[in-house]
Amino acid sequence: MEALQTLSWSDTWYLAPELVLSGFTIILVLLELILPKKINRDLIGWLTLVGLLVAGVFVVLLLLSLGNGKEADGFYSLLGGSYRIDDFGNVLKLVFIGAAAFIVFTSLGTIRDEDVPIKGELYYLILPAVLGAMVMSSSGDLITLFVGLELLSITSYVLVASRKKSNLSSEAAFKYVVTGSVASAFILYGMSFLYGLTGGTNVSAIQAGLDNALINSEALLYISFFLMIAGFAVKLALAPFHAWAADVYQGAPTPVTAFLAVVAKGAAFAMLYRIFMNTAFFASEEESMLKNDIFLSLSVLAAAAMIVGTAGALRQRNVKRLLALSGVANAGILLTPLALSLTEMNASMFSEFTYFLIAYAFMNIGAFAVLTIVARDSGNETLSGFAGLYHRAPWTAVAMTILLCSLAGLPVTGGFFGKLFILFATVQSHTYWLGAILLITTVVSYAVYFTFIRQMFMRSGSIDSGLQMTLPTAITIWICTIATLALGFLPVPILEWLDRLFSLPTDLFL
Amino acid sequence: MSTFFAEYAWLVPVFPFAAFLVLTAMGKGLKKTGAWIGTIATFGSLVLSLCIATERISGNAADYSNQYNWIEIGNMKLTAGFEVTNLSTLMLVIVTLVSFLVNLYSQGYMKNDERISTFFAYVALFTSSMLGLILSDNLLTFFIFWELVGVCSFLLVGFWYHKPEAKAAAKKAFIVTRVGDLGLLIALLLLFWYMPGHALDFTTIHNVFDSQAGVISTGITTLIALLIFLGAVGKSGQFPLHVWLPDAMEGPTPISALIHAATMVAAGVFLVARTFDIFEASQVAMNTVAIVGAFTAIFAATIGLAQNDIKRILAFSTVSQLGYMMLALGVGSVTGAMFHLLTHAFFKALLFLGAGSVIHSVHTQDIREMGGLGSKMKITAWTFGIGALALSGIPPFSGFWSKDAILTAALDKQPILFIVGLVAAFFTALYMARLFFLVFVGKPREGQHAKESPAVMTIPLIVLAVLAIVAGFVETPFNGWLGQWLMGDEAEHHVSGLVMVISAAVGLLGLYIGWLMYVKGTIRRDAVSARVSGLVTLLERKYYIDELYQLIFVKPLQSFGKVLELFDYYVVDGIVRISGYSVSAIGRLNSRLQSGQVQTYALSVLIGIVILIVAIAGRRFW
Repeated sequence: MEALQTLSWSDTWYLAPELVLSGFTIILVLLELILPKKINRDLIGWLTLVGLLVAGVFVVLLLLSLGNGKEADGFYSLLGGSYRIDDFGNVLKLVFIGAAAFIVFTSLGTIRDEDVPIKGELYYLILPAVLGAMVMSSSGDLITLFVGLELLSITSYVLVASRKKSNLSSEAAFKYVVTGSVASAFILYGMSFLYGLTGGTNVSAIQAGLDNALINSEALLYISFFLMIAGFAVKLALAPFHAWAADVYQGAPTPVTAFLAVVAKGAAFAMLYRIFMNTAFFASEEESMLKNDIFLSLSVLAAAAMIVGTAGALRQRNVKRLLALSGVANAGILLTPLALSLTEMNASMFSEFTYFLIAYAFMNIGAFAVLTIVARDSGNETLSGFAGLYHRAPWTAVAMTILLCSLAGLPVTGGFFGKLFILFATVQSHTYWLGAILLITTVVSYAVYFTFIRQMFMRSGSIDSGLQMTLPTAITIWICTIATLALGFLPVPILEWLDRLFSLPTDLFL
Repeated sequence: MSTFFAEYAWLVPVFPFAAFLVLTAMGKGLKKTGAWIGTIATFGSLVLSLCIATERISGNAADYSNQYNWIEIGNMKLTAGFEVTNLSTLMLVIVTLVSFLVNLYSQGYMKNDERISTFFAYVALFTSSMLGLILSDNLLTFFIFWELVGVCSFLLVGFWYHKPEAKAAAKKAFIVTRVGDLGLLIALLLLFWYMPGHALDFTTIHNVFDSQAGVISTGITTLIALLIFLGAVGKSGQFPLHVWLPDAMEGPTPISALIHAATMVAAGVFLVARTFDIFEASQVAMNTVAIVGAFTAIFAATIGLAQNDIKRILAFSTVSQLGYMMLALGVGSVTGAMFHLLTHAFFKALLFLGAGSVIHSVHTQDIREMGGLGSKMKITAWTFGIGALALSGIPPFSGFWSKDAILTAALDKQPILFIVGLVAAFFTALYMARLFFLVFVGKPREGQHAKESPAVMTIPLIVLAVLAIVAGFVETPFNGWLGQWLMGDEAEHHVSGLVMVISAAVGLLGLYIGWLMYVKGTIRRDAVSARVSGLVTLLERKYYIDELYQLIFVKPLQSFGKVLELFDYYVVDGIVRISGYSVSAIGRLNSRLQSGQVQTYALSVLIGIVILIVAIAGRRFW
């Protein structure tokens, strides 16, 4: 066994974003303790935002330095390959940091002390959660990946519970802990089989040992991968493993819900990509159908998620539950590029995935921001709160309409092109049935999102006064709306940038 | 050689579009201010258009175009962009000028309307779309704007939607033009299919059809040209799709002047001129254009003789004059067509606005109920008279020169077409004489309190009247400036004294007979109707074309629609109901799963994974 590569001082540059987040977390924890009670905890929120932005700047710098060819291989490997800085990780990190920053920014001024007594903690706990997500997108070793996953999960449990006086919130947190732990257990169990069969935790080592394991113990490999699939399916809320999502989304404070929907989900996807594209994808022993079966079962899960998520959302009146189920459907769509695997015809899976993830992040954060304001105003989180919104706040209603159009996948929005690119991918790889399900569920989903539009424009609400908007939320809503439109008007440059950035050998395969 | 202003040509449609957004957003609160926003935005467009025109006239600049890749899928590339040529510059000036004057005029005409800001919003959207259409550098964006102006026309014809006739007219205008639009769309698809590199921009079309004969076979070229022409026939109200245009007069009069006389209906002519290379490549298409144009010219002119609604007379006159333009195109004279488009835009807008001024004052559209208005509405009467003279082709008014250019070109090509044009010119003069004398001369009706319209309405009339006089001098048999500027080459100069004398004589003859009939009374008004009453009824009923369409298209289609409705109800809706039911069944299943019991959730995870393993992995080990 080779000697462990240790960290050196020069490596801090590559770990700067992660270090910044850890540093800020520690400082803010202490600050929260020291600060007198009467000081508004929004201060902590602003500092959290600063921490995220600094980390974001470092990620951008790393992205640029990789792009400049500073690293000969196009990536940088730390600790014997268990941590790696590459374009795949950096782009996703940027998405996570950006999303978290918007979520924190929106929360400023909208979270009330009566609802969340531990406001300061809510803010600073976002930092370790993002850190966990970043580790998940940047690791090449099962152990580090799992540590990242747990860091993210455990902080999320606390975040969900932060509405301390709400029974709903406590119940949601409890359910989240239980199902989340079940999922972690599944993943860990699957991983342990993989380790036992191949003798390595580093994914490149697993790759090397895979052929041997296939010949000797194919059945156990099946079990290993399916256990992991089940665990990830729970984390991603894919049907029929999604039941927890609606309850948890409903109980959590709205910004935390947005965080779960965007960052936690995206990070689980990153980890899934890292593991499956490096292991299962290479299980290409001639006799064995393992590889086909695994990607097929991912396709089935994607299809099930799209169908169940869309159909379930049709019946929902609570907006958070509705968005949770819409998130189930969208997870199915996000899984599709991965499930299609790589073929000669379709080599741009990462661009398709990332493009839709970015669009998904913007439209969800925007929609949740609108929901925060509307729910605060009407006192409930049901669809009827949106009634007559157009007459009270026409501009917000217009922004929400654009975001909903994107969620529904109508042109000219980011959601439309995201779905379109993924649809093209299904056609190119001749997986027509999955494309058909994507199309049909999209059409059905119009009914879901148009319920909002009907409420906003055609119903008259009980409240006549204008909507009370906070400035950060308004800014967030409009940035998300404009970004959604920009993604719709300039799909090609963005996709081309992603395509250029991302090359399989350096960025995904170890 | 400067292209300083041309580079900013994209701003021309942006001004009115911004006005549209503001007016729509601010809504009903604006009233008077809203009207000014629309007018000022159009004025901005006008100034910029004039700058571009000046630059191009003085500098003899090269065409300027700018485009970006809109969507790229595989090797398929769609571009969007704008192009400034002399042809489009001419159209820019016409559209912005007429639009500005109509905006100004509408401030008076629509003053008491409750939805005045909506009106101005629609007008701004229309102006913007029309300008976009003119600037488009490829057929695809052209088509998008083409449809947009159609939508605006629909909205504005049906602006007074509480009137059933207006609603019906709006629907008719939309549906009839759709027939033509379908042709254009098919032409577009054919072009996309056959053009090298799937190019749809006008420059490539020009290159392919002008200099690379044989790239696309003659048969296909003819088909494409005829389908494009079908689009133009619909939009420009040519026979047999002319039926919508007279009905469209149910819209507010300024709209009739702007959309249904000066700009949108001329888009068909512009389309043929813009894709003229395709037509030139096919003699069949050229002949079709010429024959349809000539026939429409005389056909509509005869109907105009027997109508009694002031706006309908003008509408049939528009159809007839558009026929002239098509005739010019068909005999190969783009200059003649564009020249007539220019002069017609001014004098027909003038006539419509004049008619609007009359209607505004006496609140009726029936010319039999008017009379003697000339003494009370001096400005309207004088300007209307100038417009009528220009339309009748009396020298030296602008209509004379442009009609002369068309007739000269027709005589060169085909004497029969020349004679048809000449006869139509005679009828034109006759119905204008009838219209003018019945409205403005003679004894005033009792109980009518006509008075001159306010200055916002008369100033546009005066400006247009001046233009109707002088606009003709840009292209006379002695001075081919417009043709040279537009087409870039020295146009053949036929000074045909004979044509000039004949066409002037025919116009004067028409006016004289009209004067004898309706003022002097030497010829009795019922001289014709007493002898051949059937002919007059035939004209009054517009050759029964509407009834014919009702019988052969509308009725059968409606019955077919009934059958489809049944199919829709039982078969299509049946499938929808089943799928709707199954979706909500899945939804219900999902709700049952979501019992709130975390144990159930964990159980569902377990069952899920077992099913997955058994179904997918299990079959390998069976």
